[in-house]
Amino acid sequence: IDQAKKSSANKAVVEGRRAMLDEWLAWRERMQADLAMEREDMGLPDLSEEQQALVVDEEEEQEGREVE
Amino acid sequence: MRPILLQGHERALTQVKFSKEGDLLFSVSKDHTVCAWYSANGERFGTYKGHQGALWTVDVDPTTTLLASGGADNTIRLWEVRTGRLLKTWEFSTSIKRVEFSEDGRQLLGVTEKRMNQLSTVIVYDIKQDIEAEQDDEPALRILVDELPKVTVAGFSYLNKYIITGHEDGSVTQYDAKTGEELHNSPSHEDGMQVTDLQWSADRTYFITSSKDKTAKLHASDSLDVLKTYTTDTPLNSAAITPDPVQYVILGGGQAAMDVTTTSARQGKFEARFYHKVFEEEIGRVRGHFGPLNYVAVDPTGKCYASGGEDGYEVEREKEQGIRF
Repeated sequence: IDQAKKSSANKAVVEGRRAMLDEWLAWRERMQADLAMEREDMGLPDLSEEQQALVVDEEEEQEGREVE
Repeated sequence: MRPILLQGHERALTQVKFSKEGDLLFSVSKDHTVCAWYSANGERFGTYKGHQGALWTVDVDPTTTLLASGGADNTIRLWEVRTGRLLKTWEFSTSIKRVEFSEDGRQLLGVTEKRMNQLSTVIVYDIKQDIEAEQDDEPALRILVDELPKVTVAGFSYLNKYIITGHEDGSVTQYDAKTGEELHNSPSHEDGMQVTDLQWSADRTYFITSSKDKTAKLHASDSLDVLKTYTTDTPLNSAAITPDPVQYVILGGGQAAMDVTTTSARQGKFEARFYHKVFEEEIGRVRGHFGPLNYVAVDPTGKCYASGGEDGYEVEREKEQGIRF
Protein backbone atom coordinates (compact mmCIF):
# COMPACT_ATOMS: atom_id res chain seq x y z
CA ILE A 1 0.00 0.00 0.00
CA ASP A 2 2.90 2.35 0.89
CA GLN A 3 4.41 1.67 -2.48
CA ALA A 4 1.16 2.51 -4.21
CA LYS A 5 0.86 5.75 -2.22
CA LYS A 6 4.41 6.72 -3.03
CA SER A 7 4.02 6.08 -6.71
CA SER A 8 0.77 8.05 -6.90
CA ALA A 9 2.44 10.93 -5.02
CA ASN A 10 5.33 10.85 -7.48
CA LYS A 11 2.89 10.78 -10.32
CA ALA A 12 1.14 13.86 -8.95
CA VAL A 13 4.46 15.72 -8.78
CA VAL A 14 5.36 14.76 -12.32
CA GLU A 15 1.94 15.75 -13.60
CA GLY A 16 2.07 19.05 -11.72
CA ARG A 17 5.42 19.85 -13.26
CA ARG A 18 4.28 18.87 -16.71
CA ALA A 19 1.32 21.22 -16.38
CA MET A 20 3.59 24.08 -15.23
CA LEU A 21 5.99 23.48 -18.07
CA ASP A 22 3.20 23.26 -20.66
CA GLU A 23 1.69 26.49 -19.39
CA TRP A 24 5.07 28.22 -19.48
CA LEU A 25 5.91 26.98 -22.99
CA ALA A 26 2.48 28.02 -24.28
CA TRP A 27 2.95 31.52 -22.84
CA ARG A 28 6.44 31.77 -24.36
CA GLU A 29 5.15 30.69 -27.74
CA ARG A 30 2.43 33.34 -27.63
CA MET A 31 4.88 36.07 -26.58
CA GLN A 32 7.38 35.09 -29.24
CA ALA A 33 4.73 35.07 -31.94
CA ASP A 34 3.40 38.49 -30.83
CA LEU A 35 6.90 39.96 -30.74
CA ALA A 36 7.78 38.51 -34.17
CA MET A 37 4.63 40.06 -35.60
CA GLU A 38 5.35 43.45 -34.03
CA ARG A 39 8.89 43.43 -35.34
CA GLU A 40 7.70 42.50 -38.81
CA ASP A 41 5.10 45.30 -38.78
CA MET A 42 7.84 47.74 -37.87
CA GLY A 43 10.06 46.44 -40.65
CA LEU A 44 12.66 45.15 -38.21
CA PRO A 45 14.69 41.93 -38.49
CA ASP A 46 13.59 38.93 -36.40
CA LEU A 47 16.21 39.43 -33.74
CA SER A 48 17.07 42.53 -31.74
CA GLU A 49 20.55 44.01 -31.96
CA GLU A 50 21.60 42.44 -28.69
CA GLN A 51 20.35 39.00 -29.75
CA GLN A 52 22.10 39.49 -33.09
CA ALA A 53 25.41 39.94 -31.23
CA LEU A 54 25.26 36.25 -30.30
CA VAL A 55 24.25 34.91 -33.69
CA VAL A 56 27.09 36.64 -35.53
CA ASP A 57 29.48 35.15 -33.03
CA GLU A 58 28.27 31.60 -33.69
CA GLU A 59 28.51 32.04 -37.45
CA GLU A 60 32.07 33.30 -37.17
CA GLU A 61 33.01 30.30 -35.08
CA GLN A 62 31.49 27.92 -37.60
CA GLU A 63 33.30 29.58 -40.47
CA GLY A 64 36.49 29.14 -38.49
CA ARG A 65 35.84 25.45 -38.20
CA GLU A 66 35.33 25.03 -41.91
CA VAL A 67 38.72 26.56 -42.61
CA GLU A 68 40.36 24.04 -40.29
CA MET B 1 36.94 24.18 -14.49
CA ARG B 2 37.79 26.10 -11.37
CA PRO B 3 36.03 29.42 -10.87
CA ILE B 4 38.00 32.50 -11.79
CA LEU B 5 38.56 34.98 -9.00
CA LEU B 6 39.06 38.48 -10.32
CA GLN B 7 40.97 40.67 -7.92
CA GLY B 8 41.39 44.20 -9.06
CA HIS B 9 38.91 46.22 -7.11
CA GLU B 10 39.82 47.60 -3.72
CA ARG B 11 36.30 47.93 -2.45
CA ALA B 12 32.84 46.39 -2.76
CA LEU B 13 31.57 45.52 -6.23
CA THR B 14 28.23 47.11 -7.05
CA GLN B 15 27.39 45.82 -10.54
CA VAL B 16 28.87 43.45 -13.12
CA LYS B 17 27.74 43.13 -16.75
CA PHE B 18 28.75 40.89 -19.63
CA SER B 19 29.11 42.24 -23.15
CA LYS B 20 26.28 41.01 -25.39
CA GLU B 21 28.69 38.60 -27.09
CA GLY B 22 29.80 37.33 -23.70
CA ASP B 23 33.51 37.87 -24.31
CA LEU B 24 34.04 40.79 -21.93
CA LEU B 25 32.91 41.43 -18.40
CA PHE B 26 32.57 44.93 -16.93
CA SER B 27 32.55 45.72 -13.25
CA VAL B 28 32.05 48.81 -11.11
CA SER B 29 32.97 49.29 -7.51
CA LYS B 30 32.90 51.71 -4.62
CA ASP B 31 36.60 52.26 -5.43
CA HIS B 32 35.61 54.72 -8.25
CA THR B 33 36.90 52.61 -11.16
CA VAL B 34 35.27 50.69 -13.99
CA CYS B 35 37.15 47.53 -15.00
CA ALA B 36 36.84 45.35 -18.09
CA TRP B 37 37.95 41.71 -18.09
CA TYR B 38 38.21 38.90 -20.63
CA SER B 39 35.55 36.48 -19.46
CA ALA B 40 37.45 33.48 -20.87
CA ASN B 41 40.49 33.79 -18.61
CA GLY B 42 39.84 36.63 -16.18
CA GLU B 43 42.68 38.78 -17.45
CA ARG B 44 42.12 42.48 -17.24
CA PHE B 45 41.22 44.17 -20.54
CA GLY B 46 41.29 47.72 -19.21
CA THR B 47 40.33 50.28 -16.61
CA TYR B 48 38.18 53.38 -17.10
CA LYS B 49 39.28 56.15 -14.78
CA GLY B 50 37.76 59.55 -14.14
CA HIS B 51 34.85 59.16 -11.77
CA GLN B 52 35.23 60.99 -8.46
CA GLY B 53 33.08 58.79 -6.25
CA ALA B 54 31.66 55.33 -5.61
CA LEU B 55 30.14 53.75 -8.71
CA TRP B 56 26.74 52.09 -8.63
CA THR B 57 26.10 51.07 -12.20
CA VAL B 58 27.52 50.10 -15.59
CA ASP B 59 26.18 48.93 -18.96
CA VAL B 60 27.52 48.24 -22.42
CA ASP B 61 25.81 48.66 -25.82
CA PRO B 62 24.99 45.67 -28.09
CA THR B 63 28.07 46.16 -30.28
CA THR B 64 30.47 46.54 -27.30
CA THR B 65 31.48 49.98 -28.61
CA LEU B 66 30.09 52.23 -25.91
CA LEU B 67 30.17 51.82 -22.16
CA ALA B 68 28.08 53.86 -19.71
CA SER B 69 28.76 54.23 -16.00
CA GLY B 70 27.23 56.22 -13.17
CA GLY B 71 27.64 56.82 -9.47
CA ALA B 72 27.99 59.03 -6.43
CA ASP B 73 29.82 61.84 -8.23
CA ASN B 74 26.44 62.71 -9.85
CA THR B 75 27.62 61.94 -13.37
CA ILE B 76 26.85 59.51 -16.14
CA ARG B 77 29.93 58.92 -18.27
CA LEU B 78 30.11 57.42 -21.72
CA TRP B 79 33.33 55.64 -22.71
CA GLU B 80 34.79 54.05 -25.78
CA VAL B 81 35.16 50.39 -24.78
CA ARG B 82 38.22 49.67 -26.91
CA THR B 83 40.43 52.62 -25.95
CA GLY B 84 39.04 53.75 -22.61
CA ARG B 85 38.50 57.25 -23.96
CA LEU B 86 35.90 59.34 -22.14
CA LEU B 87 33.38 60.47 -24.76
CA LYS B 88 30.77 62.32 -22.73
CA THR B 89 29.95 63.38 -19.18
CA TRP B 90 26.40 64.28 -18.15
CA GLU B 91 26.09 66.03 -14.79
CA PHE B 92 23.18 65.87 -12.35
CA SER B 93 22.33 67.15 -8.89
CA THR B 94 22.12 63.72 -7.22
CA SER B 95 23.83 60.37 -7.67
CA ILE B 96 23.11 57.94 -10.49
CA LYS B 97 21.72 54.60 -9.32
CA ARG B 98 21.25 52.87 -12.64
CA VAL B 99 22.19 53.18 -16.31
CA GLU B 100 20.97 50.88 -19.08
CA PHE B 101 21.08 50.80 -22.87
CA SER B 102 18.02 49.81 -24.87
CA GLU B 103 18.24 46.52 -26.79
CA ASP B 104 19.12 48.40 -30.00
CA GLY B 105 21.73 50.56 -28.27
CA ARG B 106 20.09 53.74 -29.57
CA GLN B 107 18.94 54.94 -26.19
CA LEU B 108 20.46 55.14 -22.74
CA LEU B 109 18.53 55.63 -19.55
CA GLY B 110 19.70 56.81 -16.17
CA VAL B 111 18.05 56.85 -12.74
CA THR B 112 18.85 59.80 -10.49
CA GLU B 113 18.51 59.42 -6.76
CA LYS B 114 15.81 61.12 -4.76
CA ARG B 115 17.14 63.59 -2.19
CA MET B 116 15.69 66.47 -0.22
CA ASN B 117 14.10 68.85 -2.72
CA GLN B 118 15.05 66.53 -5.58
CA LEU B 119 12.62 64.05 -7.09
CA SER B 120 13.66 60.69 -8.52
CA THR B 121 13.95 61.00 -12.24
CA VAL B 122 14.47 58.64 -15.13
CA ILE B 123 16.27 60.37 -17.97
CA VAL B 124 16.66 59.04 -21.48
CA TYR B 125 19.30 60.09 -24.03
CA ASP B 126 19.31 59.34 -27.70
CA ILE B 127 22.69 57.78 -28.39
CA LYS B 128 24.69 58.21 -31.57
CA GLN B 129 26.52 54.97 -32.12
CA ASP B 130 29.56 56.67 -33.58
CA ILE B 131 32.52 57.25 -31.32
CA GLU B 132 33.38 60.49 -33.14
CA ALA B 133 29.86 61.94 -32.86
CA GLU B 134 29.00 64.69 -30.42
CA GLN B 135 26.37 63.26 -28.02
CA ASP B 136 23.36 65.40 -27.07
CA ASP B 137 23.60 67.48 -23.89
CA GLU B 138 19.87 67.37 -23.29
CA PRO B 139 17.83 64.23 -22.62
CA ALA B 140 15.20 63.13 -25.15
CA LEU B 141 12.88 62.31 -22.26
CA ARG B 142 12.73 63.02 -18.56
CA ILE B 143 10.29 61.21 -16.29
CA LEU B 144 9.71 62.94 -12.96
CA VAL B 145 8.63 60.44 -10.35
CA ASP B 146 6.68 62.51 -7.87
CA GLU B 147 3.66 60.47 -6.83
CA LEU B 148 5.37 57.12 -6.53
CA PRO B 149 8.13 56.19 -4.07
CA LYS B 150 11.79 56.52 -5.01
CA VAL B 151 12.98 54.63 -8.09
CA THR B 152 15.78 52.14 -7.40
CA VAL B 153 16.17 50.32 -10.75
CA ALA B 154 14.93 50.75 -14.32
CA GLY B 155 15.27 49.36 -17.82
CA PHE B 156 13.87 49.30 -21.36
CA SER B 157 11.55 46.52 -22.49
CA TYR B 158 11.51 44.84 -25.93
CA LEU B 159 11.28 47.30 -28.85
CA ASN B 160 11.98 50.20 -26.42
CA LYS B 161 8.24 50.14 -25.85
CA TYR B 162 8.15 50.48 -22.09
CA ILE B 163 10.41 51.73 -19.37
CA ILE B 164 9.98 49.55 -16.32
CA THR B 165 11.01 50.88 -12.92
CA GLY B 166 11.37 49.22 -9.53
CA HIS B 167 10.70 51.24 -6.39
CA GLU B 168 11.68 51.59 -2.78
CA ASP B 169 8.25 50.35 -1.62
CA GLY B 170 8.51 47.07 -3.57
CA SER B 171 6.31 48.11 -6.47
CA VAL B 172 7.03 47.97 -10.19
CA THR B 173 5.87 50.58 -12.72
CA GLN B 174 5.45 50.54 -16.47
CA TYR B 175 5.89 53.78 -18.43
CA ASP B 176 5.41 54.51 -22.09
CA ALA B 177 9.03 54.85 -23.22
CA LYS B 178 8.15 57.38 -25.93
CA THR B 179 5.97 59.78 -23.93
CA GLY B 180 6.99 59.01 -20.34
CA GLU B 181 3.35 58.48 -19.39
CA GLU B 182 2.77 56.19 -16.39
CA LEU B 183 0.74 53.21 -17.61
CA HIS B 184 0.60 50.83 -14.69
CA ASN B 185 1.94 50.51 -11.13
CA SER B 186 1.87 47.09 -9.55
CA PRO B 187 2.64 46.21 -5.90
CA SER B 188 4.73 43.15 -6.77
CA HIS B 189 6.87 42.75 -3.68
CA GLU B 190 6.01 43.09 -0.02
CA ASP B 191 5.07 46.64 0.90
CA GLY B 192 8.06 48.68 1.99
CA MET B 193 10.60 46.11 0.77
CA GLN B 194 12.82 47.72 -1.83
CA VAL B 195 13.20 46.34 -5.35
CA THR B 196 16.97 45.85 -5.62
CA ASP B 197 17.49 44.62 -9.17
CA LEU B 198 15.73 44.22 -12.51
CA GLN B 199 17.20 42.06 -15.29
CA TRP B 200 15.74 41.03 -18.64
CA SER B 201 15.20 37.80 -20.52
CA ALA B 202 17.08 37.62 -23.84
CA ASP B 203 14.14 39.05 -25.83
CA ARG B 204 13.09 41.45 -23.05
CA THR B 205 9.49 40.21 -23.05
CA TYR B 206 9.86 39.29 -19.38
CA PHE B 207 12.11 40.28 -16.54
CA ILE B 208 13.11 39.32 -13.02
CA THR B 209 13.11 41.57 -9.97
CA SER B 210 14.82 40.90 -6.65
CA SER B 211 13.78 42.45 -3.36
CA LYS B 212 14.66 42.89 0.28
CA ASP B 213 11.50 40.84 0.94
CA LYS B 214 13.65 37.72 0.24
CA THR B 215 11.92 36.89 -3.01
CA ALA B 216 12.62 37.29 -6.69
CA LYS B 217 9.76 37.51 -9.18
CA LEU B 218 9.40 36.97 -12.87
CA HIS B 219 7.13 39.54 -14.58
CA ALA B 220 5.66 39.87 -18.06
CA SER B 221 6.86 43.14 -19.64
CA ASP B 222 3.51 43.97 -21.25
CA SER B 223 1.03 43.12 -18.48
CA LEU B 224 3.37 43.37 -15.45
CA ASP B 225 1.77 40.10 -14.28
CA VAL B 226 3.88 38.12 -11.83
CA LEU B 227 4.57 34.83 -13.61
CA LYS B 228 6.81 33.13 -11.05
CA THR B 229 8.00 33.70 -7.49
CA TYR B 230 11.26 32.39 -5.99
CA THR B 231 11.26 32.39 -2.21
CA THR B 232 14.54 32.43 -0.26
CA ASP B 233 15.61 32.98 3.36
CA THR B 234 17.71 36.09 2.86
CA PRO B 235 17.25 39.65 1.53
CA LEU B 236 18.14 39.66 -2.17
CA ASN B 237 20.28 42.20 -3.98
CA SER B 238 20.24 40.75 -7.46
CA ALA B 239 18.61 38.24 -9.80
CA ALA B 240 19.51 37.05 -13.29
CA ILE B 241 17.85 34.83 -15.91
CA THR B 242 19.95 32.23 -17.76
CA PRO B 243 19.53 32.19 -21.55
CA ASP B 244 17.52 29.34 -23.18
CA PRO B 245 17.65 26.38 -23.20
CA VAL B 246 18.85 26.47 -19.60
CA GLN B 247 15.82 27.21 -17.42
CA TYR B 248 17.44 28.68 -14.31
CA VAL B 249 17.41 31.92 -12.44
CA ILE B 250 20.37 32.90 -10.27
CA LEU B 251 19.79 34.92 -7.12
CA GLY B 252 22.30 36.75 -4.94
CA GLY B 253 22.05 38.48 -1.60
CA GLY B 254 22.77 37.91 2.05
CA GLN B 255 22.75 39.98 5.18
CA ALA B 256 25.90 41.77 6.27
CA ALA B 257 27.17 40.52 9.64
CA MET B 258 26.39 43.85 11.28
CA ASP B 259 22.77 43.60 10.18
CA VAL B 260 22.26 40.08 11.42
CA THR B 261 20.43 40.30 14.72
CA THR B 262 19.43 36.68 15.25
CA THR B 263 21.98 34.16 16.47
CA SER B 264 20.40 31.48 14.31
CA ALA B 265 21.63 33.20 11.17
CA ARG B 266 24.49 31.16 9.78
CA GLN B 267 27.73 33.00 9.23
CA GLY B 268 29.16 32.98 5.75
CA LYS B 269 25.80 32.40 4.14
CA PHE B 270 26.88 34.23 1.05
CA GLU B 271 25.92 31.96 -1.77
CA ALA B 272 24.61 32.32 -5.28
CA ARG B 273 21.31 30.44 -5.37
CA PHE B 274 20.03 28.59 -8.39
CA TYR B 275 16.30 28.09 -8.88
CA HIS B 276 14.41 26.35 -11.65
CA LYS B 277 12.77 29.14 -13.61
CA VAL B 278 9.55 27.27 -14.35
CA PHE B 279 9.16 25.04 -11.28
CA GLU B 280 10.25 27.74 -8.80
CA GLU B 281 12.30 25.20 -6.83
CA GLU B 282 15.80 25.66 -5.49
CA ILE B 283 18.34 23.54 -7.35
CA GLY B 284 21.56 24.39 -5.62
CA ARG B 285 23.86 26.98 -4.09
CA VAL B 286 27.38 28.05 -4.84
CA ARG B 287 29.59 29.43 -2.12
CA GLY B 288 32.56 31.67 -2.57
CA HIS B 289 31.97 35.09 -1.07
CA PHE B 290 32.79 36.45 2.36
CA GLY B 291 30.10 39.10 2.25
CA PRO B 292 26.70 39.66 0.63
CA LEU B 293 26.46 39.28 -3.13
CA ASN B 294 25.65 42.67 -4.57
CA TYR B 295 25.17 41.53 -8.14
CA VAL B 296 24.87 38.41 -10.28
CA ALA B 297 25.12 38.43 -14.08
CA VAL B 298 24.84 35.68 -16.66
CA ASP B 299 26.99 35.38 -19.77
CA PRO B 300 24.50 35.77 -22.70
CA THR B 301 26.04 32.67 -24.33
CA GLY B 302 25.14 30.71 -21.21
CA LYS B 303 28.71 29.55 -20.61
CA CYS B 304 29.17 31.09 -17.18
CA TYR B 305 27.93 33.57 -14.65
CA ALA B 306 29.64 36.20 -12.54
CA SER B 307 28.98 37.51 -9.07
CA GLY B 308 30.23 40.70 -7.44
CA GLY B 309 30.44 40.87 -3.68
CA GLU B 310 30.50 43.31 -0.83
CA ASP B 311 33.87 41.65 -0.06
CA GLY B 312 35.41 43.29 -3.14
CA TYR B 313 35.84 40.05 -5.06
CA GLU B 314 34.51 39.20 -8.43
CA VAL B 315 34.10 35.60 -9.50
CA GLU B 316 33.47 33.99 -12.82
CA ARG B 317 32.16 30.45 -12.90
CA GLU B 318 31.44 28.02 -15.65
CA LYS B 319 27.65 27.43 -15.61
CA GLU B 320 27.07 26.02 -12.16
CA GLN B 321 30.70 26.86 -11.52
CA GLY B 322 31.46 30.51 -12.47
CA ILE B 323 33.13 34.20 -11.87
CA ARG B 324 33.35 35.91 -8.52
CA PHE B 325 34.36 39.49 -7.83
